[in-house]
Amino acid sequence: MRVGIMSFAHLHAEGYVQNLRRIPGVELIGFSDTDAERGRHFSKLYGLRWFWTHEDLLEERPEAVIITSENATRRPLVEMAAESGAHVLSEKPIATSVADAIAMKRAVDRAGVLFMTAFPMRFSPAVRALREMVASGELGRVLAVVGVNHSENPKHHRPWFAQKELAGGGAVMDHSVHLADLYRWIFEAEVDDVYARIGNPFDPDVDVETAGLLLLNMEGGLPASIDASWSRPSHYPRWGHLRMEVLGEKGAAVLDAFAGHLHLWRRGAGRDYEWLGYHPDPNQGMIDAFIASVRDGGEPPVTWRDGFEAMRVALAAYQSAASGSGVRPTELK
Amino acid sequence: MRIGIAGLGTMGRVHAAAYRRMGARLVAAYDADPAVTERFAGEFELEPAPDYESLLRSVDVVDVCTPTFTHLEMAETAFALGVDVILEKPLALTASEGRQIISAARESGRRLFVAMVVRFFPQYRKAAELVRAGELGRVGVMRLKRVAFPPAAGWFRDPARSGGMPVDLMIHDLDYARWVLGQPASVFARRSPALEGSALEHVQAVLEFPNGALALVEGGWAYPPGYFRTSLDIAGDRGLVEWSSDQPPPLQTLFPKDAPPPALGLPMAGLEEDPYELELRHALEALESGAPFEVAPEDALAALELALAVRASADSGKVVEVA
Repeated sequence: MRVGIMSFAHLHAEGYVQNLRRIPGVELIGFSDTDAERGRHFSKLYGLRWFWTHEDLLEERPEAVIITSENATRRPLVEMAAESGAHVLSEKPIATSVADAIAMKRAVDRAGVLFMTAFPMRFSPAVRALREMVASGELGRVLAVVGVNHSENPKHHRPWFAQKELAGGGAVMDHSVHLADLYRWIFEAEVDDVYARIGNPFDPDVDVETAGLLLLNMEGGLPASIDASWSRPSHYPRWGHLRMEVLGEKGAAVLDAFAGHLHLWRRGAGRDYEWLGYHPDPNQGMIDAFIASVRDGGEPPVTWRDGFEAMRVALAAYQSAASGSGVRPTELK
Repeated sequence: MRIGIAGLGTMGRVHAAAYRRMGARLVAAYDADPAVTERFAGEFELEPAPDYESLLRSVDVVDVCTPTFTHLEMAETAFALGVDVILEKPLALTASEGRQIISAARESGRRLFVAMVVRFFPQYRKAAELVRAGELGRVGVMRLKRVAFPPAAGWFRDPARSGGMPVDLMIHDLDYARWVLGQPASVFARRSPALEGSALEHVQAVLEFPNGALALVEGGWAYPPGYFRTSLDIAGDRGLVEWSSDQPPPLQTLFPKDAPPPALGLPMAGLEEDPYELELRHALEALESGAPFEVAPEDALAALELALAVRASADSGKVVEVA
């Protein structure tokens, strides 16, 4: 199967190169990037063919593409890819507006290609075990959920993450979608209402929020919070955390998806002190699943709808922060 | 490849569960106690073998999880009948028995894999890779801990049948130290005298390597019931790596605290990857393909010799040269 990557703007593209190369029968034909400096750099680094325009890449007729452009620029790339007949794995959040997300859906439906949203945490074995535990009723009725997906400021890796016109926002747009998706998936309920507070306490040089706390109400009355802040310093031992505490009537479960790590101190490394994970990479499971869906023609395990609903939670958070009251994400048009 | 399992105690159960999860062809089971064989075979939907030779005649590879003092006879019988052997550690009770097992494999043309599972724990493997890649510079001091509560009454508690704690438990870290740093030159060990005369045992050993690196290896069966703690700490002149089983796992559960402690504690590797599955998958793949095992029989023998050296040093109070 011939697969291409559209844009190296998002830093996850680098991991996906390794993930694709580990799958037998997949040929990574190269990547497109309109930023020549970035194109040359990653072409050399990974020994990959670089296409200066997305059209050039699509002319090679890849069967599937991974779209890792900036959040606000995914729509035209998805439309182009779909029109050329390529199945799409889109980085999250899938878009920065309801209109863009719906246009993407129309494009893939019209072309009859698959669309998968990149939510890798669904492929973490610990997350899957938690979901099974909740489904089995072992915890009893779930009373409360406390979630943390805070991190360092990603602008140190790619400046656009902290530029509103390209990222659609800051910390909330970057992170809240992961836990919003896991909540929908694990508790099998939609998000009924979002209350959020945002601010910029950590970086006066950017014009987006670097702090965001969301307090959701899931359908059926389950309070669930998300800390999406860029509150870890750049010298923190790892990018950040994905944690979730689930309090049930019969017991509690405490998830720390990246708990398995060595403590590593090295001189002259990127981080002097680092938490080096020894788990398998959840991205691998996600990319494997995408390739399997394309190969077998089945519905991908994470759909456009999943990406759309998570994005609406992030958008609702901005509305709530502006209005000071709760916002129902399903009413965002 | 048809697999049979012999010895249906704790490790037999762990291995059977791992084979089941990986979808391997585990077909038959045997235990010296026919009632245990019947119950186990029923539970795992296997053919119950009335005796060991019947088991061997129905499989291509046998996974031997019987007590250590039976390993020599179990392995020799399997090789004589043309069956490959996956043997739970330790290889044997003595170095001479270990050598007999290895030569029986060689003479029969069959293969022997000794299940040194710590090499398949992802955190131990990652730390070893860091050392090999030179990320830590020259290793100066390595610390390895493996402490558990005393095993339940039975052959484990009898050093004449289990080899005692160094041969049964500490051997994991002695093998790991040797895997990462190579063969040591000398071993000096002290056993806690306050525990003498009981089934409890706690030993600390200092290993010295030819290049000057040192290792402190701690092993014990003296912790309160329910505890099994392991850790590694490798310090080089350019980097340091630490890990401890005290770190929280990826998923913890909090239920009412009145559950009974486990019968025999095994370290949990976390949910992400089961080291027993990784280990047995490796053994089966190497058997299929003819590729060499990551743990050669000679490595298992060298680890046993180190464990025996630790025991001898603790007994004599003298340094044992092992180079």
